[in-house]
Amino acid sequence: MSALTVDISDIKLSAEPDDMIVTYALGSCIAVLVHDPVRVAGGMIHYMLPLSETSPEKAKTKPAMFADTGIPLLFQSMYKLGCRKQDLVVKVAGGGALYDDKGLFSIGKRNYTILRKMFWKSSVIIKAEDVGGAKSRTARLYVGTGRCTISSQGAETEL
Amino acid sequence: MIAPEQILSKVKQLPMLSTAVVRVAELARDERSSAADFEKVIRPDPALTANLLRIVNSAYFGLRKRAESVRQAVTLLGVRRTSEVAAAAALAPIIPGRLPGYQVEASAFWLHSVAVAVLSERLSGELGVKRPDLTFTAGLLHDVGKLAIGAFVEEASAEILARVREGGLTLVSAEREVLGVDHTEVGATVSEAWRLPQAVVDVARWHHAPGEAPARADRMLVDLVHVADALSHSLGMGTDIGEMARTVEVGTETRLGIRARRLERVAGESLDEIRDLARQLTPASGGNR
Repeated sequence: MSALTVDISDIKLSAEPDDMIVTYALGSCIAVLVHDPVRVAGGMIHYMLPLSETSPEKAKTKPAMFADTGIPLLFQSMYKLGCRKQDLVVKVAGGGALYDDKGLFSIGKRNYTILRKMFWKSSVIIKAEDVGGAKSRTARLYVGTGRCTISSQGAETEL
Repeated sequence: MIAPEQILSKVKQLPMLSTAVVRVAELARDERSSAADFEKVIRPDPALTANLLRIVNSAYFGLRKRAESVRQAVTLLGVRRTSEVAAAAALAPIIPGRLPGYQVEASAFWLHSVAVAVLSERLSGELGVKRPDLTFTAGLLHDVGKLAIGAFVEEASAEILARVREGGLTLVSAEREVLGVDHTEVGATVSEAWRLPQAVVDVARWHHAPGEAPARADRMLVDLVHVADALSHSLGMGTDIGEMARTVEVGTETRLGIRARRLERVAGESLDEIRDLARQLTPASGGNR
C-alpha cells in the first residue's frame, strides 16, 4: 500500500485499490474526500482559503489553494479518471475555528460556507462530514474500499 | 506547580544560541559595521555560515544573485537583514528532534517558527505599516519557551489537555493553571539567557497577551506576531497539542485594523515562501508536520 500525502493547497488522486490518501493538520482548511465505488478511485483536496479573488495570481499557479478553483478541479480530475458524477461519494472534514471566532479568523467558517454553496448549486450531496471546533484533524481515504477516517485529539473515528 | 529554580535549571541545560548571533545583533545596531565585520564574526562557525547561506538564498529573500559568502550576503541583503537571518541559522540546530509535551516534531516546530516570522512580516506589508525592527527574528523565536518547558508539559499533559479539551481553556492558560508558569514567561527567560535583543524578549513574553505588554514594548511588533501565530495555527502550520485552542485579543484587531480578507491574502501569498524557507533547514521535512 502506498500512502499519498495531500499537502496544503494540493490535490491527490488514485485509482489503485491499495492506495490510501491522507492529509494532516486540517485546521481551518477543508479536505473534500471523493470516492467512486464503481470505478474504484479516490481523490482528495486540502484547500486553505474560500475565494480565489483574494489572490488571483496564486489561483493560476495553485488552484487547489481555494475552494472556488480547487473543488471544481478535484471533480474534473475524477471525471478524467473515468468517474461519473452520480457515482461519487463525497465527504468533508476540517473547517475548524479558534476559540473566539468573531470574524477575523472566520476562515474555517467561510471555507465551509462557500463549499456548501457550490455543492448546492451543482447538486452534490455530502454523505458525511466532520467540521468545526477548535481542533486539528487528519483525514484518510482508502481507495479500495472508500473507507474514510478522521484522527483528532488522539482518537480515530469513521467518517 | 513547578518551582522557578526547576525552570531555570532547564533553561541552563538548553544549548546556547551561537554567540556569533549576539555579536551580529550588536553589529547590526552599529551603523559603521561593514560586511567584513560580519564575516569575521560568522565565518569561524562553519555550521552557522552554511545555514545562513542556505536561508539567504531561499526565495523569500529574493536576492538578485546567489550569495556564495557571508560578505556577499551582507552586501546583497544589508546588515540588518543578515543579522535576522543569522538568528534563524543559529536556531535551527538547537531544535530537538521531537519536542516533549507538545507532541511536535522538529520539522513542525520549525515550520511554525518560520511561518510566524514570514506571516508577521507579510502582515506589516499588507497593513501598510513600517515593518518593526526585528520582526523576522522575533516571529521566529516567539515560542522558544516551549524548548525549555516541554518536559514539564509532558509530565502534566493529561491534566493540561483535560483543561483544554474539556474545560475550554487556551493552551497557554492551561499551562499556567497546571504548571504555575506558561511558555511565554519561560520564553522570556530563555531569550534573556541567550542575550537576545529586548524586542525579541518582549515578543516571547507577550505574544499571547499583547494588551498586557508594558509600555516599553513595541506593541505593533507584539500584535503582528500575535496574529501571525494564530494564523499559522489556524492553517495547520506546525500544529502541536494546543491546536486551535487560542484566542485573538480584540485590542489587537482594533489596533491593527485588519480584516478577514486581508488576512486570507497574507496567508495565500506566504504559503510557498514559508515552505521553501522551512525546507532549507529541515532536509528531512518531507511530511512536514
